[in-house]
Amino acid sequence: MNAHGSVEVSMNVFELLTKIPRQIIFLVIAVAVATPLIMPIGMPVNVMPKSKMLFQAIDTLGPDAKPVLISCDFDPQSMPELYPMLISILRHCFARDVKVMLMALWPQGPGLVELALDEVPGTYNKVYGKDYMFLGYKFGVSAVLLGMGENIKRVFPFDYYGTPLDSIELTRNVHNYDDLSLAISLSTGDPGWRQWLLYAQSRYSASVGVGVTAVSAADVYPYVETGQVIGLLAGMKGASEYEIMVQNGDYSDGIRRAVQGMDAQSLGHLVIMVFIVLGNIGYFVMRRKK
Amino acid sequence: MNPSPDPWVWFAAFLTLCIFSFLYKDNIFYQFAEHLFVGISAGYLIAITYHNQIYPNLVVPLFFEGRILYIIPLALGLFYFARFIPRISFLVRIPIAFLLGWGSGVFIPAIFQRDILRQTQGTLLVQEAFEKWDTGLWAVVILIGVICTLIYFFFSRERKGIIKPMANLGIIFLMLGFGASFGYTVMSRISLLIGRMQFLLGDWLGIIQQ
Repeated sequence: MNAHGSVEVSMNVFELLTKIPRQIIFLVIAVAVATPLIMPIGMPVNVMPKSKMLFQAIDTLGPDAKPVLISCDFDPQSMPELYPMLISILRHCFARDVKVMLMALWPQGPGLVELALDEVPGTYNKVYGKDYMFLGYKFGVSAVLLGMGENIKRVFPFDYYGTPLDSIELTRNVHNYDDLSLAISLSTGDPGWRQWLLYAQSRYSASVGVGVTAVSAADVYPYVETGQVIGLLAGMKGASEYEIMVQNGDYSDGIRRAVQGMDAQSLGHLVIMVFIVLGNIGYFVMRRKK
Repeated sequence: MNPSPDPWVWFAAFLTLCIFSFLYKDNIFYQFAEHLFVGISAGYLIAITYHNQIYPNLVVPLFFEGRILYIIPLALGLFYFARFIPRISFLVRIPIAFLLGWGSGVFIPAIFQRDILRQTQGTLLVQEAFEKWDTGLWAVVILIGVICTLIYFFFSRERKGIIKPMANLGIIFLMLGFGASFGYTVMSRISLLIGRMQFLLGDWLGIIQQ
């Protein structure tokens, strides 16, 4: 092969880099994600200050504290990121004997809440109505959150299972946001954390913590800086950080789904970065050729 | 390997693979799963809205408890359907006007408080921010970022003099913001894939512990 031929071959390689079939890219990413799930690498997870802030807000509470309200404003699509947050926060609250109320602003939320309630309270011998309860789903976010600022029992006269709130021990003395230690919105979009800030925080000065999918995380940052949000869990990384903190605090040794996924997350990112670099090398070389 | 004995898990795995098959190309399996999802979602939403909202908040008070005032929200709701009858389609303006009036009254002060007052307050340099050197530094960076980005969107003056470098700095801040958002978006999409992989390899095939 002469010099002209070898230059042509290298040019073809660079052209190929700009035209990698998407099916190949998907396949490589799938392998990169699946492999560390089967054979974990155990990459370290550093806890970020914003996640720590939410953890500490709950860690200061005890059996005599007002209940924590968790709003599950997400659907099964966001489960990989938000469900581990829900499980970890429930474990943390129950381990510290903090009472928990749950609700949903998304119609798919109740199914996910029930899934979590099947899994966690039994481990800590918690009793429904005494240690935790579920308000259910309510349509019409503005009216719901504003109404809860006045009187929760007018918005949710009954719990999810049809029991009047007045006859439930946990909610007997809960009237509005003033009777809650903290409200946490695990949110995947609208309605979600924005409305909790808009109504519960801005209007009624409720303490609001937020857990969001990574897509929304950058939008929440300014509100954490101003103190409008007391702590933030961002995506699967945030969930894994909370799982680590809950385990380090000896609150739970249960399965940590998000931590399990972080190796796959890192390797997936690495592969994407490699593809971005390769594509750019091919693009710039081909552009110089032209 | 310990595959699930639950037929519903197998059906869910089949639907997941149907959706993934779109990554190769559009096909009948993907279309089947997509249509099934849309149909079930719509049905679920209608059922849960009726049982959680319409029945307890309208049907019970109006028809079982005889609270006649509830006829007003019922009428307002029904007026939305007036659009389908040209002769009385003007009635739809009543609930829309009601909603707009109520919405503006509720939203404007709350958004002003959440996004303008508190955010401006957070941007101002206060003494507490300088109690530690790093928080002080970041407070200054945030202030510069906000001012330069605002100047970039200030189109009433020609970009020359001090305005030009500040607007250019604003672009850098914007690009950093977009980069952070895009990075988080990639992270989120990979998380969705991880979730499905955990289901396929854990719940379905039993290869990994769940």
